[in-house]
Amino acid sequence: MEEAGDLEISGVGSNSTINDDGGCAWTDWSPVIDWGPLSADDDFRGLVEAMMCDDNDDVAHAGVTRMAYDPYWNSNPSSTTTSTGTPPAEEPSSSDGGGGGNDDKGLRLVHLLVAAAEALAGPYKSRELARVILVRLKELVSPAGGAAGCGGGTSMERLAAYFTNALQGLLDGSSATACSRQSASHLDGQVGDVLAAFQLLQDMSPYEKFGHFTANQAILEAVARYRRVHIVDYDIAEGVQWASLMQALVSRKDGPPPPHLRITAVTQRGSGTRAVQETGRRLAAFAASLGQPFSFGQCRLEADERFRPAGVKVVKGETVVLNCVLQPPHAAGAATTRGAGSVASFLSGAATLGARVVAVVEEEGVAEDGNFVGRFMGELHRYSAVWDSLEAGFPMQGRARGLVERLILGPRIAGAVRRAYRATGEGGWGEWMARMGFGRVGISCFNHCQARLLLGLFSDGYQVEEDGPNKLVLGWKSRRLTSASIWSPPPPAPASVPPANIGVSSSMEDSDFLLD
Amino acid sequence: MFPSKKPTMNSHERPMSCVQGDSGLVLTTDPKPRLRWTVELHDRFVDAVTQLGGPDKATPKTIMRVMGVKGLTLYHLKSHLQKFRLGKQPHKELNDHSVKDASALEMQRNGASSSGIMSRTMNDRNVHITEAIRMQMEVQRRLHEQLEVQKHLQMRIEAQGKYMQTILEKACQTLAGEGMASGSYKALGNQGVVDMAAMKDMGSQMSYPSLQDLQLYGGDQLDMQQQMDRPLDGFFPTNEGICLGKKRTHPYSSNGKSPLIWVDDFRLQELGSAAACMGTQEEPSKSDQLQLAPSVIDSGMDMDSMTDVYETKPVLSTDSMGEKKYEGSSKLERPSPQRATLPVERINPMIRGGALPQTRNISYG
Repeated sequence: MEEAGDLEISGVGSNSTINDDGGCAWTDWSPVIDWGPLSADDDFRGLVEAMMCDDNDDVAHAGVTRMAYDPYWNSNPSSTTTSTGTPPAEEPSSSDGGGGGNDDKGLRLVHLLVAAAEALAGPYKSRELARVILVRLKELVSPAGGAAGCGGGTSMERLAAYFTNALQGLLDGSSATACSRQSASHLDGQVGDVLAAFQLLQDMSPYEKFGHFTANQAILEAVARYRRVHIVDYDIAEGVQWASLMQALVSRKDGPPPPHLRITAVTQRGSGTRAVQETGRRLAAFAASLGQPFSFGQCRLEADERFRPAGVKVVKGETVVLNCVLQPPHAAGAATTRGAGSVASFLSGAATLGARVVAVVEEEGVAEDGNFVGRFMGELHRYSAVWDSLEAGFPMQGRARGLVERLILGPRIAGAVRRAYRATGEGGWGEWMARMGFGRVGISCFNHCQARLLLGLFSDGYQVEEDGPNKLVLGWKSRRLTSASIWSPPPPAPASVPPANIGVSSSMEDSDFLLD
Repeated sequence: MFPSKKPTMNSHERPMSCVQGDSGLVLTTDPKPRLRWTVELHDRFVDAVTQLGGPDKATPKTIMRVMGVKGLTLYHLKSHLQKFRLGKQPHKELNDHSVKDASALEMQRNGASSSGIMSRTMNDRNVHITEAIRMQMEVQRRLHEQLEVQKHLQMRIEAQGKYMQTILEKACQTLAGEGMASGSYKALGNQGVVDMAAMKDMGSQMSYPSLQDLQLYGGDQLDMQQQMDRPLDGFFPTNEGICLGKKRTHPYSSNGKSPLIWVDDFRLQELGSAAACMGTQEEPSKSDQLQLAPSVIDSGMDMDSMTDVYETKPVLSTDSMGEKKYEGSSKLERPSPQRATLPVERINPMIRGGALPQTRNISYG
């Protein structure tokens, strides 16, 4: 364990030998970099050198102090070492003159990342600085000089590599979209890989299941008595969430036969319609195999990505449920990063549609800082926790994790950094919904218990906690990562005249809306 | 069962005469010797039982020892303990009408007399007992609920796993349909089977884990390190007989033995000859982008990438081996563009135990 450092970077291997050469870990700078042309401004070189060597510069220090006081970082020293009895097998020999333990290196990587982020957020001139820093970062995280990639690095190195790429993408500006176009062209070749990686991720971590199961259980409880259930799903993705819901519906012990389930998937215009149809077919087949009456439909968003409740056919006698899983997309091609306005319009439609309940699954710990650096660090923390959680749970499955990292987490990181760059510090949807008059629907004991049991299947570090009566938050060792919350729509505004073709469900009772 | 526990009253109010023995036991002198469980005695009883860990853990013998009251027999204790366990208030068990009347009388006198106080105390005592018992029942109820939740959770996880399978299967079938040389395809298919089918069986047990099973992954890391033979069971897409519909059933060995040693030389050689590229493709990296590891994945799905291979892109077989320091000899190869990462690599994730270092070398040839 490192006692000299201010903070412990999780996910870094433990056997660190503190470097003695005056704190400057990299005395042998790569000859690849010719500092001459880059240092058009002398200050840069001095600045960069200062950053490389020590903690005493202003640029990086601010970031570091922020992190030093972050409870998560301080309380989670090298989780890899505590969870495994032996050092992780993939600990490489650092190519930087064998200097600096891994902890040191991890620290410096973080410094550099934060410095790069700060440089990017600054005026134009500092973009050059950012570029320089990123070059250096790349060297650090790919010790063998690029060919070996970062598959062999430590966790921290790999994580830093993805963030470096993300920052590089920001720097390149327009080519960031080129990147996504690239990945889209890869879609056909990679979709199988991505799906496989997705399943790996699901097997290795409870993130996705937590949101799905919690939402499903709440939905089950809300529609217990009804014979027709209509779910409007904001982002159906592969429809994985509904498999377990269907199973639960058909195995209800109460006696009534499973209700008719109708799912309407909200889609964007144009892109991905085929995929959604495929999902619908798959769900229908699965439902048939279970004996669950089922039908599927789509509802297109408007051109401006807004949701129009009138686009959803509502049948009399059915109870409507809105499902909104706002997790970052995993399939490279289906990068439906819809804006906040779209989500807001969807949630607002709950009242018009007469929904019984609205389930929202979203990322937690969205940094509400006003500036990019704060949000960037928030994402750094988040993915560092995710990295840790995968490593702690499955320290030996290096390849599987590598795959997941490359195909799923890497793109997510890039997306998150992009969003952090452009966004203006939006908070979670919970507060917005509360402001708009949504009611809170309590999470039942069963639901809570289920979440606990689910986490118990994975590693010890996962924790679930209640955040208010209607929200469960999943976290990894005190770092909140994702949450599921259940709401009831606000009473429809009297001024709004429901369009003629909507038949609001007449079977809704006012009482017993709240569970438990 | 004799109704041995009676609300204590002043002896002169009782129809039966009682004798206060030296030991403090109140024994009646009627023909059937009965022990009267006084408040104090009952207190000592309860203390002893609590000391011993509760009414279920305590036995009459141990209670007797702990209580250390002379004249107390196992018989007394057995019946008293049974009543205690049943949780009935002792004086409700009385069959003796006279006693019942007496207790009714006693209730009426609760206000003033000392007997009233005694009986109130006795009631409190009983109340405490029933509270304790109620809590016990509550705990049992919760446990029961938890078991219910567990059951449902397991079914839901299974359902989700099955659905995921259908996704992967369909994806595979789609890709399989896209024009491939049947020869190499077959080999791939075999390999896919080799990977998938066996994985499926294990996967079907692992993807839908029983709670204990998955605990192994979370907790039993030392075990994993030692054996290194259960690397990615169930973590790989569990396709049924992926594209050729072949299935191999392998018993899932829960004793930790490597289930993967079945990959024999023959199969590997067969695979080694396949010219198909199974590696995932990476765009030639832009100069600025880091070349992130295109680790080979163990899925028949990227057969589609074959078409890509034959056209242009060089495939970097890379560091997918980089992490396998513990796998014994593995050679890094940089295959030619047409012949990208050998299919064998795809098995590698499963062959962790270094079970086949030699065969691997052969097939690399």
